[in-house]
Amino acid sequence: MKSFLGKRAVASAISLVGLVILVFFLSRLTGDPTDLFLPEHASQEARDKFRAIHGLDQPLIIQFFSYLGDLLRFDFGESVRRSEPAIDSVLRGFAWTLQLGAVTMSLVTVAAIVVGSLAAFHVGGFFDRVATFFSLIGASAPDFWIAIVAIVVFSVNLGWLPTSGTGTIWHWVMPVSVLFIRPFGLILQVVRGSMIAALNSAYVKTARAKGVRNRPIIFVHALRNALLPVITVLGDQTAAILNGAVVVETIFGFPGIGKLMIDSILQRDFNVILAAIMVTAFAIFLMNVLIDILYTVLDPRIRY
Amino acid sequence: MTHIVGRISAALLATTIAGTALAQDTSVTIVLSEELDIVDPCESSRSNLGRVLLQNISETVTELVPGSGLQPRLAVSWEDKGDGTWRFKLREGVTFSDGTALDAGDLAHSIARFQGDAISCEIGAKFFGGIDLTTEVIDDTTIDITADPAQPILPLLMSTVTVVPSETAMDSFVETPIGTGPFVWEEYARGEYIKLSANDSYWGETPAVTGATYLFRSDSAVRAAMVAAGEADIAANIALQDATDPAMDYSYPNSETVYMRPDTHTAPLDDVRVRQALNYAIDREAFVGTILANGTLLATGLTPPSTIGYNTDLEPYPYDLEKAKALLAEAAADGVPVDTKITLIGRIGNYGNVLETMEASLSMWQEAGFNMELRMVEVAEWLDHYSQPFAEGRGPEIVNAQHDNANGDPVFSMYFKYACDGLQSATCDETLEGLIADATALTGADREAKWSETFKYIQQDLVADVMLFHMVGFSRVNPRLEFTPTIRTNSELQLSQVGFK
Repeated sequence: MKSFLGKRAVASAISLVGLVILVFFLSRLTGDPTDLFLPEHASQEARDKFRAIHGLDQPLIIQFFSYLGDLLRFDFGESVRRSEPAIDSVLRGFAWTLQLGAVTMSLVTVAAIVVGSLAAFHVGGFFDRVATFFSLIGASAPDFWIAIVAIVVFSVNLGWLPTSGTGTIWHWVMPVSVLFIRPFGLILQVVRGSMIAALNSAYVKTARAKGVRNRPIIFVHALRNALLPVITVLGDQTAAILNGAVVVETIFGFPGIGKLMIDSILQRDFNVILAAIMVTAFAIFLMNVLIDILYTVLDPRIRY
Repeated sequence: MTHIVGRISAALLATTIAGTALAQDTSVTIVLSEELDIVDPCESSRSNLGRVLLQNISETVTELVPGSGLQPRLAVSWEDKGDGTWRFKLREGVTFSDGTALDAGDLAHSIARFQGDAISCEIGAKFFGGIDLTTEVIDDTTIDITADPAQPILPLLMSTVTVVPSETAMDSFVETPIGTGPFVWEEYARGEYIKLSANDSYWGETPAVTGATYLFRSDSAVRAAMVAAGEADIAANIALQDATDPAMDYSYPNSETVYMRPDTHTAPLDDVRVRQALNYAIDREAFVGTILANGTLLATGLTPPSTIGYNTDLEPYPYDLEKAKALLAEAAADGVPVDTKITLIGRIGNYGNVLETMEASLSMWQEAGFNMELRMVEVAEWLDHYSQPFAEGRGPEIVNAQHDNANGDPVFSMYFKYACDGLQSATCDETLEGLIADATALTGADREAKWSETFKYIQQDLVADVMLFHMVGFSRVNPRLEFTPTIRTNSELQLSQVGFK
């Protein structure tokens, strides 16, 4: 296991370096941040000074190695827009997104497994058809549309929930609900499919023949084996949220990393873009390691 | 279980009380479309910053009040001393929020700061480009300001100048704005909110509003919903499709003018007949009440009707497709390469329904026979096409732009939009250079007449661009407030003008 984790860490580090190189040069292809930061009428002297302060007057390759040198000291550079270390902006945003993702995916996991398992057990029945219908709608409905409709209905018309922002537990209800819908729909379908296969397997038939009750069959015998593909999809969906729930964060005024990344790209705040990508890449690496460990827990036949 | 129910009930109660408190207290919540990046008062001419700082935290030397003209603010009087020098008398007994007293040295420092090279401030670059200001402090409340070249409208130009304490660093932007206004900067939680509170030592009348919270939501529907749900008091800028409640929504000319700027240096756009054809081929009236709001005015000049010298005798070009085709044919017969592909460049998100406006214009021009393609680009790329120096070897381009001038005088627009070396000028015409120079140097009725003449020359003789619309903005205001948005709301939002019913 240790050697597996070591190999994964090395592979991820190589991927991360590749990502940094790619993002560093791609972001600079978008143009010079001087054009966006200084007034349109700024003098050439002011432009030159700005570029010198931020190292933009150096050849690109020098800028790159200088950035790598700073990175080795865990210096992610300054945010041009926010006048603070880029990593501070990113960690602040990431903390919000992490909370949003953790709450949402916890609910998604429990709900999708319970509903998906029951749908599989009653395959073809009324419950299965209703669950499948709504899960397909949920998996395909656009976030922004659901969010706006939810605000109009629950905030403006009914007055039950705040439209946006943070501060109370009620501010979390709509963003979490909107983020919940798509992964719930997807994962429910995966759980249902895996469970149908598991419930038709020989070991379940054997358990039935021995007189084991339905609940232990579903949640002990079948579910454990059906969870492997579910965990893979759960990981993908969690990664998508950690990588930035852009639409939901933007509409509901959540100061998360997704909104920060979009703002930084539009403002050519290169250091924030790079720091945000490194932080999310590292988080996704950790999550993948966690998923690999979970595989071994669920299926002892898996060895690394 | 009882414990959990109790906690949920308490939370519900707290939320309800918070909602009720909004309806009763004298603080206001304002929701803006974008977060502030810089918070330095010398950048207050940026509309997103101006809405928070201007006349709330940072006051200007003079103030242009719609309908009343130029009024005193930090200066109580001003006098032309000749040779480009004006003497300003500052108000006595004014203090900054850091407790220091305002004096003439602070104004001198503020001017030096926005004119210097250490930092680049929009006020200096936008309003005082090409003008050298020198100051002489006469005493604590008297200062002589000399403009080179002389500026007969220097007191009007000073309505853009915010004053900071002389201790403010010259070489870096401030993080916590300090001003003399009726409010003080209290807290900025990046990504979340800005809070202002009342300035207890303000020199003027105490405003009805005692504090303000600014929130940022980029989606117009959310901003409108926040006011409708009672979570915010003012949504300063909402889209046409979200302004659905006449009881809360106000429309007003927002001082923005939308126009198409052909590059007159490049064929076939260097031919006046081609530019006339561009004008005749656009059915301006078809836009109003469809993809643009009712109340949108057809434009004949770059500045709104509220600016002095606006030529009311001018008529928008009528929609005349046959005339456009005839003009193109006539130009073609004289060897003008009218078949050359022209790139129409729009800026993503520049104003509500910009894409629809661009696509409709493109379609009308193609119907007239123009060979044209549309490119919608983000702001930085758009600036590369809009501002000089333009790229070498570029093809013929028409850039769509929106220009705002709420300052009452065309001088804030004319030079950099039309002079040969104006930063955003795509034309160079000797006669127009002379008209701009003459008008800039005049005062009173002569100035007004000269600007009028200039507008006529640009629209009818030079046909420098395709004027389209003076735009209408929408704001949503909570019915508990006594506040009517005006043309200035686009660039400033004075909390002292807000009252409660």
